[in-house]
Amino acid sequence: MSNKLVRSIVYWLLLSPLVIVILFPFAVMFVTAVRPRDELFTFPPSWFFSEFRWDNFVDMWTKVNFGGALLNSLYVSVAATVLALVFSIPAAYALSRYRFRGKGLYRNFLLMTQMMSPIVLVLGLFRLMVAFGLVNNLNSLVITYAAFNMAFTIWMLQSYFNTIPRELEEAAWMDGATHLRSLIRIFLPLAVPAIAVTAIFIFINSWNEFVLALTMLRNNNDFTLPVQIFSQVAGRYQIEWHHVMAATVLATVPVAIVFSWLQRYLIRGMALGAVK
Amino acid sequence: MKAFRATPLLMIIPSLLLAMFIIGYPIIDLAYTSMQQVSRFGQLRGFNGMANFAEVFSDPLFYASLIRTGIWTVAVVGGTLILSLPIAMILNDEFYGRGMARVIIMLPWALSLTMTAVVWRWALNGRAGLLNASLMGMGISHEPIEWLATAPVAFTTEILIGILVSIPFTTTIFLGGLSSLPQDAYEASMVDGATRWKQFRFLTLPLMRPFINIAIVLNVIYVFNSLPIIWVMTEGGPANGTDILVTYLYKLAFRFGQLGKASAISLIMFGVLFVFIIIYVIMVMRNEDDGGAAGEAAE
Repeated sequence: MSNKLVRSIVYWLLLSPLVIVILFPFAVMFVTAVRPRDELFTFPPSWFFSEFRWDNFVDMWTKVNFGGALLNSLYVSVAATVLALVFSIPAAYALSRYRFRGKGLYRNFLLMTQMMSPIVLVLGLFRLMVAFGLVNNLNSLVITYAAFNMAFTIWMLQSYFNTIPRELEEAAWMDGATHLRSLIRIFLPLAVPAIAVTAIFIFINSWNEFVLALTMLRNNNDFTLPVQIFSQVAGRYQIEWHHVMAATVLATVPVAIVFSWLQRYLIRGMALGAVK
Repeated sequence: MKAFRATPLLMIIPSLLLAMFIIGYPIIDLAYTSMQQVSRFGQLRGFNGMANFAEVFSDPLFYASLIRTGIWTVAVVGGTLILSLPIAMILNDEFYGRGMARVIIMLPWALSLTMTAVVWRWALNGRAGLLNASLMGMGISHEPIEWLATAPVAFTTEILIGILVSIPFTTTIFLGGLSSLPQDAYEASMVDGATRWKQFRFLTLPLMRPFINIAIVLNVIYVFNSLPIIWVMTEGGPANGTDILVTYLYKLAFRFGQLGKASAISLIMFGVLFVFIIIYVIMVMRNEDDGGAAGEAAE
């Protein structure tokens, strides 16, 4: 028997407890989402149930107001992504192409804001949004998400921009194009894949954000998906767990698939280039 | 090339302004509010010096939360590191189904913390939770266990979930480190007859030191102010028994309207966070310097 086969068996045995614990919540989510309501609280508790109740998803859509929350989440995530990119692309370009005074300082500033956590500032942010009359307004989230994702975005874009040869732009300058023109015509088209990957990560971060959304939104109709689903669980005597799990499946699985697929790019932007 | 010097500055200024506005201003506002008397409705009623801080430091719940924050951070980060290094070493080796194993180990990262916590809250339900179903089905327990009803059990459970969701990120850092280790050193040690344990102890561990350090600092930053798991599963309860500083701070600010006290705690937390951020920045810069020096030596 080959060495590799023995090793594979040992490794899988070692990993198996963790694999089970990781897959367990996914199984719970799916099994509960399709379970008939009156079989939620059977005793003794059991994995088994009589039939797949796919209608749970349909009922959930209206009962949980999933569609409304979905639109809110989409609006906030798309707008925050666009705003973050608008602020980050020029900054990343400057870091990648120019030497300037204070560049080191600016990089340190980015490292610091990247690690800054919204929860520590949440009270100050709330007071800021009150002052601007933006509480209960999705745009408060758009601005804050853009700001908190910016440092990560700039890192990520800069590391990609460095790989785009500068000769192409220099050739354009020789031909008399202005910097702005060469940036838009020559550079940006080459950077599209990098920008797309980065955009997806900002989108997912915004999609998943909880604390700020919980704080800034007070009106049910404004809730984003995480807050909407949380509101179905928090402080209720009667929790419709089959609806909650159906909503969780729809809110997470598509995003999780995209994330798993692009994850290998993520590390680039996490300032870990520094330790490679 | 003679680029106009103002160009790069103009390009970074918008991002600076946005960060100052959204991240800088709240810090100043918190510092200001923490030294004000604040009404329940958020009106500032004038300077009161260190009164809010004095109130915080005489509050037994603050100390309880502080100690629990320490336990939470050390337990989650420690547990994550101890598990992640062997996992990364396994995933770095060749074996059948490695691609599959990598995808599974990374899965928790793909779910948001909030959703993970919602699912676990249901899975741990004392009456009908599927964890109890599994344990009873396998004959491990005979009575359903109330996982979230008492603080010590609930807090331990939350720590374990904290570890579970931190493993993918940490393993990724370690995988990056392992793939950069010099193979010839291992071959040389094999020739010298080193055992696997000795290889690990005297070769892998020292070489992985920088990666372990950065994993510690980043995890501490993420874990010490992570709200969703505890907030969704127990909201710091029962009876404040699972409160850590962030959940206590959130309750003070948005449930009890004690804004002065809450901003004082925010500022204290900001101070702690800032220390770790500085450590992180120094580590990154030192690594860059080393990298630069090594690059020059190679030329």
